[in-house]
Amino acid sequence: MNLFDSLKAILTIAYKEFVHVWRDRRVLLLILVLPPFFTLVFGHAFEGSNVRDVSTMFLDADNSPESQKFAEFLHGKNVLDALVEGSDNPDKVRKDISDLLQNLKDTFIWKKWVGDAKGTIDLVQNGADAAIVIPEGWGKSLQDGTPINMRAVLDGSDTNTAPAVQALLQQALGIFQLNERYELIKNLPEQVVDLGEQLSPQTQHEFSSSLTPWEFDTQILYNPKLLFVDYVVPGMVGLILQLVTVTLIASTITREREVGTLSQLLVTPLRQSEIVVGKVLPYLFISMFLIAGTIAIGHIHFGIKIHQPLLLSLVCFLFLLCSLGLGLLISAFSKTQTQAIQFSVFLLLPIMLLSGAFAPLSQLPGSIRIFSELFPLTHFCRAFRSVNMYRADFGFIAADLIALAVGAVITCIGAAYLLRTADD
Amino acid sequence: MPKPLIVLTDLAKKFGHKAAVDKISMSIGQGEVFGFLGANGAGKTTTIRMLCGLTKPTAGRASIDGLDVWRDRFRIRSKFGYVSQRFSLYADLTVRENLRFFAGAYRQDHINEKVDRMVKEMDLEPYRDSRAGKLSGGYKQLLSMACALIHEPALLFLDEPTAGLDPVHRQQIWDFLYQVTQSGTTIFVTTHYMDEAERCTDVGFVQHGRLVAKGSPRQLKQALGGDLLEVHVEPPMPAVLELRKFPGISAVDLRSGRLRIHAADPQALVDQWQQYWPFPGLKFLGYSWVEPDMEDVFNAYAQGRHSPNQVQAALK
Ligand SMILES: Nc1ncnc2c1ncn2[C@@H]1O[C@H](COP(=O)(O)OP(=O)(O)O)[C@@H](O)[C@H]1O
Ligand SMILES: [Mg+2]
Repeated sequence: MNLFDSLKAILTIAYKEFVHVWRDRRVLLLILVLPPFFTLVFGHAFEGSNVRDVSTMFLDADNSPESQKFAEFLHGKNVLDALVEGSDNPDKVRKDISDLLQNLKDTFIWKKWVGDAKGTIDLVQNGADAAIVIPEGWGKSLQDGTPINMRAVLDGSDTNTAPAVQALLQQALGIFQLNERYELIKNLPEQVVDLGEQLSPQTQHEFSSSLTPWEFDTQILYNPKLLFVDYVVPGMVGLILQLVTVTLIASTITREREVGTLSQLLVTPLRQSEIVVGKVLPYLFISMFLIAGTIAIGHIHFGIKIHQPLLLSLVCFLFLLCSLGLGLLISAFSKTQTQAIQFSVFLLLPIMLLSGAFAPLSQLPGSIRIFSELFPLTHFCRAFRSVNMYRADFGFIAADLIALAVGAVITCIGAAYLLRTADD
Repeated sequence: MPKPLIVLTDLAKKFGHKAAVDKISMSIGQGEVFGFLGANGAGKTTTIRMLCGLTKPTAGRASIDGLDVWRDRFRIRSKFGYVSQRFSLYADLTVRENLRFFAGAYRQDHINEKVDRMVKEMDLEPYRDSRAGKLSGGYKQLLSMACALIHEPALLFLDEPTAGLDPVHRQQIWDFLYQVTQSGTTIFVTTHYMDEAERCTDVGFVQHGRLVAKGSPRQLKQALGGDLLEVHVEPPMPAVLELRKFPGISAVDLRSGRLRIHAADPQALVDQWQQYWPFPGLKFLGYSWVEPDMEDVFNAYAQGRHSPNQVQAALK
């Protein structure tokens, strides 16, 4: 039996699976309507509108050259020359930067700092809506390759302000980081650029530091659950697709087991691996289509920018493959469809809460974070955001991609193994 | 006996502590139409599923054409067809789509021609584009057989193919099975319709997982020990109940208005009754001797009136 025969067998199953979905009009409607619908609804739920005149206390506890530069930037001074020079489209970048600076100026009304840098910050008592602290040692930490987070304290009781400010700060920091990277590259001697391996350890650290997202530790007082749309859309898309893929495929094998067609399938010379691949293929096709659609909605409707579409496609592809593998595994070891759905729900619950789809993983305790690494959505969110928000390259997200690929292979092999008998 | 195709050696399957199949040993020859008979829960389906490699035997072994049904299950899959007890095709696929799917799964070439030919042979032409789930019971069964035969196997397993069907469709299915055997295909069919057992060339009775008898219908009938006494008594219904209580009678069945008597010494009964009829409320109108049919055989085994030893002795 050669590869061509196998391929024909796989296509035979894939076609049949596709017909199942296609003929089940209710499911079809559900998967075509719900993802875009949820994206719109959730997106708006987390969207912050433009806010103005947020009275903000500011403290630069670091007082390093880096912190001073960032402080100036926050206060509305253009310090991003390297970014403009390094870009392919300087005019556009210049325009974006001036928009951002204008936005910063409109948003913040700067107030004098009251109190100390480390302890609790009481906004109400000081008549402020927000407080921003550049912690001591920030500038140095960037050079060491272990960037520490900035600190922002926001008043969450106003549901619009906090997320908008949070988003703006994150955006400003992201742009600033990008600029620093260009600056670093610009200041490298020509020959060093070519001979990357010979960089001094110090410079290598700086490089990796500029790749590790510099972040704010944001503490939202009074209503800590607020989030912002740029951060949240990838998480949302991932979560919806996670739900759709797992529940869609979770009942495929169990349905056949219940109806009795599995026995009929297993007396044919089809190999278990062919059955698994044949079943995954059509769902992979459908869910790739869905994820592209929902991201497009995020792009068109919420203005989410898409960077490196090819790399993002790879992230999506591996994520969906791994999720489908997971669903198929559930399907293979469940005895009934009801059981399969129950397993999926119990699996999706922790995924929803612990994968960092909505809240940054750093807020979770370390012991729980180990669990998070088991979920495909965790890797998807991290990889997608790294690429899209921080323009990370393949190497930087390789670990997540490998985790997803390994997950896909293990779950599919597991499902194939469980198909060896039709015993119920 | 023709060359054995299927050989079972102490084949057994336990579910927990319950033995569904209890050390069955037998062999089935090439080209036979083997009827596997037994009441519900006797272990017919479990045996077939072991032979098809769908479930692992707990003990013992079985082989098809020399290949072990479990160890070599991937190698023998293309050699046989299997029609399961429940309708197990894809209800949302059409007749032709189902056939095409199984043709593909069995790695057939010239799929379209094969499917068209099968549709014609099975009288499925008018329904070829109907969803399989919408077919009536008889056509569903025909389609199941068509799917199991699409790769022209040398052996076909059918698990109660006629259960719940009307006589017309039952006839149609048996006619088709005869047609299949013409090309030398061996058939392993389970049923609990006794008239169908008569159509088999070889029959096995299974009870509580044990094989209690095996042989051709003729041999099994002979093993019952000669002709049965049939008496004509009016009114028949109360007569059945009364006669069952009569000493020396082990069973009474009502057949077309006559009472079929199973007894150790029926001749003695007739002699006795001709002198003195002990039932004042019933009228004795005559008697005759009839050849036992498979239903009698089945009833005899089902009611435990025949021990396997007796049968073995009678068969010798
Ligand atoms: N999957 C199973 N789990 C537990 N018991 C089973 C299973 N399948 C069959 N049995 C039991 O094994 C016995 C034989 O069943 P089966 O082979 O289906 O009988 P038949 O086909 O002759 O009606 C029955 O008592 C049934 O309850
Ligand atoms: Mg059965």
